[in-house]
Amino acid sequence: MLNRQPGDRTLPTLITLLVIGLLLMTFDIRSEGAGVTSTLRTGAQGIVSPLQKAAAFVVNPIADAIDSMTNVASLREQNLALQGEIDELDAQLVAIQDDLALFEFYEQLYDLEATGSELGRTPAQVIGQPDAFDGALIIDKGSSDGIVVGQPVIDTSGYAVGSVLQVSPGSATIVPITVGPSGVAVSVGNQVGEVLPQVNTAEMRLELIDAQDPVFVGDRVITSSGSVRFPAGIPVGEVTADASPGNDTLSTQVRPYVEPATLRLVVVLAWPPDPITPLTPDTTTTTATTSTTVDGDGATSTTEGDG
Amino acid sequence: MRVRTIVTVTLAFVLAIILQTTLFSQNELFTPDLVMLVVIMLCLTKIRPELLLGVAFAAGLAVDLLGSAVLGLRAIVFTIVAYLALRTRERADIGRIITGIWAGVLTFVGVVLLVLIGTLFGQTVLLGDGVVERLVLVPIANLILALIFAPMFVRVVDRDSTAFRYA
Repeated sequence: MLNRQPGDRTLPTLITLLVIGLLLMTFDIRSEGAGVTSTLRTGAQGIVSPLQKAAAFVVNPIADAIDSMTNVASLREQNLALQGEIDELDAQLVAIQDDLALFEFYEQLYDLEATGSELGRTPAQVIGQPDAFDGALIIDKGSSDGIVVGQPVIDTSGYAVGSVLQVSPGSATIVPITVGPSGVAVSVGNQVGEVLPQVNTAEMRLELIDAQDPVFVGDRVITSSGSVRFPAGIPVGEVTADASPGNDTLSTQVRPYVEPATLRLVVVLAWPPDPITPLTPDTTTTTATTSTTVDGDGATSTTEGDG
Repeated sequence: MRVRTIVTVTLAFVLAIILQTTLFSQNELFTPDLVMLVVIMLCLTKIRPELLLGVAFAAGLAVDLLGSAVLGLRAIVFTIVAYLALRTRERADIGRIITGIWAGVLTFVGVVLLVLIGTLFGQTVLLGDGVVERLVLVPIANLILALIFAPMFVRVVDRDSTAFRYA
């Protein structure tokens, strides 16, 4: 049997450490994660990220194999469903190619040229999460790849994921919109509002201000031009319950398109584009063209272009 | 604390952090809190209690630095868990199953504290989808791991092959 009892100094030590912890929390909240705490986090991530990358390199195939074995039945169903989706998308692709050809024809006819800056896209692999409760994602790209705090993150299908919270040279931490501390400015049709995270559910709450029209199940929710965190037009999710406006406001539920915990690959957008330094493409960055304008109130709008 | 013990404890924490943030972050069912488990198992060793509280605080701070929640949150939680573990560790030395249950209960207290204090400080990042399930799954995973590894861990840290033989 163990015969060592906590000494008399245990309680004073506990109280001292709790006070230090509370002071740290207060300091971190007051400094909003900047300053000394940001430097400490960057340093810690810098030390751990090479080990995490090495571990992820070994662990990811094993985890994927286990995942596949436990989900064989559902994978078969998913395959069938995906095959159907591929057929549908093939048909859509043909239609889009026709539209694109028509668009190019009109461009030449009216001598139009799409203007705008290039929006850098940095694909990154998700190498883990801090723990079972922390909803943040750790990715294998950092400041040495051009990633900076606050940049928006989307998945490979272009759906909104979250934004960059912390960056070290070799890794970055992303906070998904489903657990982030603040909402995202969105639009549904021609109505604008905000989606907010909720406790213990993957669904988000949609609040529309000055709502005039009802929203219906399946309505698409996209980021609005009033968003300071995302370019306009990024799909966020779809409405899961019909709702009508009452007192000019409307509240309903939205199912995000992305389930952050299942993501393996994300794309960090260099947005808003740096107005001073031109983007120099590197091996990891591919580009798409986007025109971004900022109005007098600071609201930003973005339109996609083809070159 | 001897140099060898310091090295062993440091390695245990580094390994716990790496495995927790990579391997176990990809599994929805088996989601242990490895760092908290190491803190709890260390309380079964002969390391001085005051020192253990400091180690628990530092371990929590390390996880805080890697996470997105407020700095100091896990440091506080791990310190409280370590204190409770030190106060109750006599009861864990009865048998392997009791050791596992003891670690599971302490983990449950820890994760409940984490969510409670996190909620008080507005840490929505901790309260996402499935938080209630994880309040149950994390202690169960820690219980299973403690049941298997706690005796061996104590023997390695204390360099005492007779420890936790449950005679």
